[in-house]
Amino acid sequence: MTARPHEEGVKAAGLRLRSLASVMLLLVIWESAARSQLAPPVLLPAFTVVAAELGRIIADGSLASDLALSLYRAFTGLALAGACGILLGMLMARSRVVHWLIDPLVAIGFPSPKIAFLPVFILWFGIESLSKILLVAFACVFPVIIGTYSAARAVHRVLVWSAFSLGTTQHALLTRVILPACYPRIFATLRIALPVALITTFTAEMVAGGGGMGATLVYSQRFFESPTVFAYILVMLGIGLLLDAAVHAFARRYLAWAEE
Amino acid sequence: MRRDPLAHALIRTVPLLLLGMLWQAASSAGLINTAFLPSPATISVALADLLGGGEIGRNIFITLFRAGTGLLLGAVCGIWLGLMMARSLKFRAWVTPIVGGTYSLPKSALIPLFALWFGIGSLTAICAVYLACLLPMTVNTFQGVVSTPKVLTWSAQALGTSERQMLSRIYLRHALPDIFTGLRIALGFSFVLAISSEMIASSSGIGKLVFFYGENGAYDYMFAAIACVIAVAFLCDRAMLAVSGWCLRWHESAANARTA
Repeated sequence: MTARPHEEGVKAAGLRLRSLASVMLLLVIWESAARSQLAPPVLLPAFTVVAAELGRIIADGSLASDLALSLYRAFTGLALAGACGILLGMLMARSRVVHWLIDPLVAIGFPSPKIAFLPVFILWFGIESLSKILLVAFACVFPVIIGTYSAARAVHRVLVWSAFSLGTTQHALLTRVILPACYPRIFATLRIALPVALITTFTAEMVAGGGGMGATLVYSQRFFESPTVFAYILVMLGIGLLLDAAVHAFARRYLAWAEE
Repeated sequence: MRRDPLAHALIRTVPLLLLGMLWQAASSAGLINTAFLPSPATISVALADLLGGGEIGRNIFITLFRAGTGLLLGAVCGIWLGLMMARSLKFRAWVTPIVGGTYSLPKSALIPLFALWFGIGSLTAICAVYLACLLPMTVNTFQGVVSTPKVLTWSAQALGTSERQMLSRIYLRHALPDIFTGLRIALGFSFVLAISSEMIASSSGIGKLVFFYGENGAYDYMFAAIACVIAVAFLCDRAMLAVSGWCLRWHESAANARTA
């Protein structure tokens, strides 16, 4: 409990060493299991083989174009969901009629597995980017509506009353008091929606084709090109980690005022 | 403000009925191309046929079995992992990079890999569901246990609670609300992953059935099957809420819910 700063530093370093060791250990086990032919190379290509394949797809640009297409779909869909969801959530919080109209749809839409609608979106919007973007938006919009709504309902009355007594108009109240007060929670829901957007994009590409990370991943699997499968999964893992870190950095930079 | 719950439920279904009537009217008036969006009446006929035929029941049962098995395994392992991570700094240091990495990975990326390893069928789906459920359970349990107030642990220890009893009486009990939050998230994931993996790599299950109808142009049946998916997911979510409400009736969040 009363460890001196020096000892705590040593301890933290020891823990960080363990974390590093665990990743290294995993890679070593993977490599040696593959090298000793514990599993056929089709099922488990060695890490070095996968790394070489990763280098190849980076060099020939196929990874970059797949990645750009997938991220474009995920982020356009997410932006669409953000815009519609924040608007609808705000309206639901300010108007009883809108709440009455939309709430049952949200209650049913929120828990439903949106990926089941994929055939409908393909039927209506084709197999190119549009159907994927709209499916992503559809999958992400429900958490955003719910998050915005509960954030707007939770705005402290004192804030609203103070603004009114200082002569704020209805419009200014929305844009200058309620919306800013909701930023942290809206951001929190967008943070939940981001992985949903990625998962939906990848899955839709895997099922329906039409290019992108998911489509290439599934084609490689069907032709038993295991190194490519592993390389794409590693890239998806990296994208997930990177976006997570970016979101954390953004929150620290711009939403630090909301921390209690 | 006390309203009869039955009347409340009825009022909430009115917008849905309105939407259905509007949809039916637009189809009858020829405003909607019924080749792309069958009318509610046609879908109801298809739904009645599906429910009578037993095919839908069999496939929903298969999907529920996959989702449920994965969820159960993921929940048990996730609670154990989260508990261990919260109780041991060294263990946490070892597994954090692996848990963190898998947490950010869009889990559907692993479906092609599992299809490569386990072929087409239940095992692939169960593994995908398991991994998708494991992470939210681990993270939520971890947060619940780690946030146990020191006063609680100290009081329990002062009263002579053994290390073994501490687990069930203090740590897990304090984490129970978080565990239920994780379970609800995992429940949603379990449906998404089960249906996704059925669409990508399976010859049975509701996801395959929806896709099969879509590919064969039986759009009324496709919409009817999707309606079944929505209904099942909605009912499972409500059941989960009811169970967690009952298990947490002693908790302060239950008192808030009652007054709200």
